[in-house]
Amino acid sequence: MTEKLVKVINRSGIHTRPAATIVKLASKFKSEIYLIRDKFAINSKSIIGVMTLAAEQGSEIIIRADGPDEQEAVEEIAKLFENGFGEI
Amino acid sequence: MAPDEVIKYGKADYRILKEQFVLKGIPSSVGIVIGKAIVLQPETLISPQTKVPDEEISNELLKFEKAHTNLVHQFMQSLHKVRSLGSNIVAILETNLLILTDPLLYDAIIDKIKSGFSVESAIVAEFDNQRKFFLNATDALLRERANEIDNIKRKLLATLKDQCIDFVDVQNAIIVAQNLSTTDIVNFKEAGILAIVTEIGGITSHSSILARSLDIPAVIGVHNATDIIKTGDEIIVDGFSGIVVLKAKEEIRQIYVTKINALEEHKKSLGVLAKLPAETTDGKRISILANVNFLDDVRLSEINGAEGFGLVRSENLVMELKEFPDERTQFNWYSEICERAYPKIVTIRTFDLGSDKYVEGLPIKEGNPALGLRGIRFLLSRKDIFKTQLRALLRASINKNLKIMLPMISSLHEVEQTRQLLEICKQELRNEGVIFDNNIPLGAMIETPAAALISDGLAKAVDFFSIGTNDLTQYTLAADRNNELVSDIFDDFHPAVLRLIDLVVKSAHKNGVTVSVCGELAGHSAATEILIGLDIDELSVAPSLLLELKNRVRNLNYSDAKHIAEEILNSNDYYEVRKKLEQAIGRHNLVEISQ
Repeated sequence: MTEKLVKVINRSGIHTRPAATIVKLASKFKSEIYLIRDKFAINSKSIIGVMTLAAEQGSEIIIRADGPDEQEAVEEIAKLFENGFGEI
Repeated sequence: MAPDEVIKYGKADYRILKEQFVLKGIPSSVGIVIGKAIVLQPETLISPQTKVPDEEISNELLKFEKAHTNLVHQFMQSLHKVRSLGSNIVAILETNLLILTDPLLYDAIIDKIKSGFSVESAIVAEFDNQRKFFLNATDALLRERANEIDNIKRKLLATLKDQCIDFVDVQNAIIVAQNLSTTDIVNFKEAGILAIVTEIGGITSHSSILARSLDIPAVIGVHNATDIIKTGDEIIVDGFSGIVVLKAKEEIRQIYVTKINALEEHKKSLGVLAKLPAETTDGKRISILANVNFLDDVRLSEINGAEGFGLVRSENLVMELKEFPDERTQFNWYSEICERAYPKIVTIRTFDLGSDKYVEGLPIKEGNPALGLRGIRFLLSRKDIFKTQLRALLRASINKNLKIMLPMISSLHEVEQTRQLLEICKQELRNEGVIFDNNIPLGAMIETPAAALISDGLAKAVDFFSIGTNDLTQYTLAADRNNELVSDIFDDFHPAVLRLIDLVVKSAHKNGVTVSVCGELAGHSAATEILIGLDIDELSVAPSLLLELKNRVRNLNYSDAKHIAEEILNSNDYYEVRKKLEQAIGRHNLVEISQ
């Protein structure tokens, strides 16, 4: 299992477009990937799940992956957060 | 329907319309069409509790998987078709596809069927379950997604019932539905529908915008349309006034046929104009530009022969998203307009918010918003927002066809502060290795008497002027343009307003700066001659007015216009101005002077 703590830095938070970006990326990996916020975990391959996270700017999220490509999955998804989903 | 409701819409024809079966809606996309209706019935009520016997479960699973696969395929095809239409529509359809293929939702439905529920019940139960999350969201944008989830559910149920309409049948038909998704509209357009009538939907909804950009006449918000109209009925859809006529008598049918023919003729005759230059009879060239609210306006303007884009109202992006868009979103929008317009020049006005345009983040209560923190004042008070916009504009200027225009300038200091901020943004971008137009032109809107009176100084600080006649008139005459009590005082043709315009043009030309007019006055039939007489260089109007305007310019004589302008400038009484205008208009046999 691999984990990483990230922060939502883009101003508008995880709205529809970033959510779609996360899901599209997460779906490329074999591992099970979860986004955890305030002990509430959602499957990162589910757009409905990611959208209902309603993570605004400044919220902290743990990316947790379990599976054959867990390292890579966590790194790549973390990068999306760090780049502010390309909105900065 | 009450007769007076009809009267609101009809003009000359309302007496006859009154006797007809007329449904009132909201005009969403222009055009008039007569054709046969195809009514898409909303799904009949499905209980989320219907069970099936155990031996049927595997068959139910199969039915679901088949319908799901078909719909995914259909979504992907629509996505493929809209690729060229722009990133907004693509993003909407992509999200729809992701919702449809959401593994949680999919698995939940499968589990529900496995536990003995009918496939319809399982779909309704699980979709509604997810929808609840969205409906309860604090974020308005998320709440709107609930509608999309509903649309996807309906499509899935329709696919299941094999009720998907054969697309061959819809050719030359008018689709009447409760609501249509963007996917539906793309597919129907492909299949050759004539028009759209829906029960719900807003004028700014994705579906409305799409209908306009695909040139499909549409009337939305027609209550009970799917009840009242039956498949096979001949109906008239009037996308100009937002009405649908059922069982039209021959008399009214003829009126509409005549209207349709006249529209075609008019389009054809004006169409020839699109390729001709906007030149007066004595050879004075005027640039005719288009005002842009949405991406789709770019294409429409080009068809109508716009030589460029004089006013892109960037605040529309804010109003549409109901929040300040981030740099990426803005960059995408600006570059898309610039790319579509290339090599024509695009003038983008920075967010003009405040006064009658309100969004979150603005000071809530101003005693007198028209004289408050609006336009450039707001931007300079929120440098974070302003900087994001300037950076996005700079990044979109890579093809050197973008100009930046500042709203509500009333002092030189505001231009200087903006220049400084622009320099900071340029330096940042240079450090980031981003390419942009280093000489991006910066212009000022002349909307306050103050700006007009110091235009000599302003002209040395900016690259172009654009006169916003609505605000200039309201501030010069101290008459609120939205207050009916003073509507007779609010007059763009007041000599005071015209003298300010004259002053602005003279200061500009002395300093080698061009002047455009992009307010309502530019599109006003009576104003064309005066504005040309005042030596305005460019006129910018709504795309639909372009050809009419060019037609007027080509029938004008510049030296006559100059003469009239001179006479008007020398009068003190605006009734006198009106009289002179009427004479001028009479000469060219143009439309009535009062709006």
